Amino acid sequence: MIIELVVCFFATVSFGIIFGVPRNALFLGGGIGVLAWTIFRLLSDYGVTAIFATSIASITAATLAHFLARKFRIPATAFTIPGIIPLVPGSKAYYTMLAFVDGDYLGGLELGIETMLHAGGIAAGIVFAIAIFSFGKGIGHRYEAGR
Amino acid sequence: MGKADQMMDICLLAGEIMLTYGAETYRVEETLERMAKAADLKNVHSFVTTTGIFISFEEEDRGDIMQMIRIDDRYYDLNKVTLVNQVSREFVIGSITADEAYHQLRRIALSPMNYPIWLIHLASGIAGGGFSYLFGGGVKDTLPAFLAGVTASILLIEVERYLRVKFFAEFIAAFTGGAVAIALVYFGIGTNLNQIIIGTLMPLVPGVPLTNAVRDLMSGDLLAGVSRGAEATITSLSIATGIALAISLFL
Repeated sequence: MIIELVVCFFATVSFGIIFGVPRNALFLGGGIGVLAWTIFRLLSDYGVTAIFATSIASITAATLAHFLARKFRIPATAFTIPGIIPLVPGSKAYYTMLAFVDGDYLGGLELGIETMLHAGGIAAGIVFAIAIFSFGKGIGHRYEAGR
Repeated sequence: MGKADQMMDICLLAGEIMLTYGAETYRVEETLERMAKAADLKNVHSFVTTTGIFISFEEEDRGDIMQMIRIDDRYYDLNKVTLVNQVSREFVIGSITADEAYHQLRRIALSPMNYPIWLIHLASGIAGGGFSYLFGGGVKDTLPAFLAGVTASILLIEVERYLRVKFFAEFIAAFTGGAVAIALVYFGIGTNLNQIIIGTLMPLVPGVPLTNAVRDLMSGDLLAGVSRGAEATITSLSIATGIALAISLFL
């Protein structure tokens, strides 16, 4: 588990580098990624369905990202990206594609729907964080507070 | 040059940098409107989509002026977005003048990417190796995933530089990454082919467009959200086709 977290940290930081995240946000982003992955793994181990675990992890990561974005005055995306990257259903998407290549259309559809639900879980987390952070600001401040 | 013309230049330059390097639409709109309002311009409106920026405002005794700019290229460098954000914030609170803001923006526009290109390739490799491990591959699978990830990243950037077709570059990168992964497993380096390929493909996943699409849709920018979503979908399809071709050719 420890090795996994270290690997996750480096993988997430690498993603930050690929997307040009500012230097001072890089390692914090890695931390958010590790946190999201830990929550996802722990919930999965305790028998929570993968989709629900994904949304919980995504909510935590996105909320934390917005909080840090405010604190460091850096666009929230710079923190959200590393936070949700470990949750992206890469393997499901791959197996979906594999099933379609093999001509197993029914299996492919099944996996495809699961992939979509996973992605939906991540999106729900991001949306939830936006909702919290734009709460009570009125129409004039429809968007996230960055000032 | 009048104040309004200068503000127009500043706004368009700021918007162009932000949108080109991966900012969300709402952030661009809001930044432009705030900057224009801070310069005492009235009737400020901006409309930003994924591919262009429209901005109009009213100058005293000259009537409304309006301009648009088209954004052709999209890269990812969130550092530049952060820097522009910083400049606009300083301009809005009045700690720098319009001239200074313009010069700073020019400098940001001309500055190189935040990280050198070799570091990006290296990072793709590390991300590839790391994710192949996280998705259930063994320690032995990280090396082939690293190599395939670096190959995919180099091809992605080089093919796009020469052919200038983003989706084709992604297709080629996924195809070659998959081919390298299959070859390495064939020669006995690494065992779990599926995990290696997943790791290789992770750096190509359109993470920024996807999150931005969700943000844009949520803040009511339906046009920008849908177009970004379409961009992310086509990218995913390019990757899937590339890898599918590699698998059906070589397996």
